[in-house]
Amino acid sequence: MQLASRSQSVRLLFALAAVAVSSRLLVGHHSFAMFDSSSKTSITGTVTRFEWTNPHVFIEVDVPGSGGELKHWSVELGSPSILLRSGWKFTDVKPGDKVTAIVNPLRDGRPGGMLYRLTLPDGSMRGNGTAPPADPPAARSAP
Amino acid sequence: MRTRHAIATAVGLALVSGAIARGQSPPAVSDPRNLTGAWEPMRGGPGAPPPTPPSPIVLKAPYAAEWQARRAAQDEATKKGEPLATAGSECFPYGMPTMMAVANYPIEILQTSGQVTLVTEVHSEVRRVFLDRPQVKLEEVPPGYYGRSIGRWEGDTLVVDTVGIDQKVAGYQSLPHSPQLRLTERIRLVSADILQDQITLDDPVVLEKPVTYTLTYRRLPKYEMVEFICDNNREYTDDKGAVRMKVLDK
Repeated sequence: MQLASRSQSVRLLFALAAVAVSSRLLVGHHSFAMFDSSSKTSITGTVTRFEWTNPHVFIEVDVPGSGGELKHWSVELGSPSILLRSGWKFTDVKPGDKVTAIVNPLRDGRPGGMLYRLTLPDGSMRGNGTAPPADPPAARSAP
Repeated sequence: MRTRHAIATAVGLALVSGAIARGQSPPAVSDPRNLTGAWEPMRGGPGAPPPTPPSPIVLKAPYAAEWQARRAAQDEATKKGEPLATAGSECFPYGMPTMMAVANYPIEILQTSGQVTLVTEVHSEVRRVFLDRPQVKLEEVPPGYYGRSIGRWEGDTLVVDTVGIDQKVAGYQSLPHSPQLRLTERIRLVSADILQDQITLDDPVVLEKPVTYTLTYRRLPKYEMVEFICDNNREYTDDKGAVRMKVLDK
């Protein structure tokens, strides 16, 4: 599946980069400062809920820990509008799907974050308003 | 009419000289008064015309000190990862003039007899610009998110006069404003697929002199506007006024 044309990707990347670096000049639903943009955390687990809603799409994931216990994560994405323009469909994620999400975690330490890249059960990837980004330099596993 | 088209085309070509320099030829404007379509805010990037710097913002006392203190508090909170709540984070409408450029959400322009209607994708906000009617006195317009907008064509530029913006509506750069605020927009095609809206804020109570800035848009051909009802807002405001994301248990 082709997620987005090159020109679409360039435009969306530019727009999101502008939002990230110039919040003073731009307006969005909310600031991204609650997320740690310098850090990436990788979580793998089972989707319990997929909310295709405004102002943001959410993926709820049960993540097994090393001792077998489950820890629940809430993953925030852009709005349906932003995602649709980068190739997403509202049917891309379903409860029961096993997914891997790389996120910028919440700075306050709670188990939540802003999606950086999602890997679906079939191995295909989705970005968060862009084409799927490359591997980050060092994505930590969820604690 | 032909002369007007030629002038508009020449202006458009001059403004997109950057694109020409990169070997791209902007398409000609076939009807400079036809703004109908979906438009995406642009902030540079491929095909963008040269940036138009905004004019300096100079506020009267005591508004200047209050504005600077509020911006400093916002910056400090943001640095701590605890951004302060805004009308946007609480899903209130953006209103004028902020609604004209929210992230890269498109705006749809519809032209019917005697009216230009602007519909934003984010929050589905609607502005109606009534053409060729007189504006009423400021004090006759009930304060609201969009005020009362009157438009007229000056050549190929749609000039829109807006009054009646409620003081609770956040302004450009979070500027405060008084009931005396008047917005003047000059909206025009600079090429077939590039639109600009030059917005001037004039508020003799708050501003030492009017503030002007320019928004640029790219046409999105055949774009289908997406529903945006803010009915699942999981960002909440904590007791310190900071925005937090609601994390679920399961």
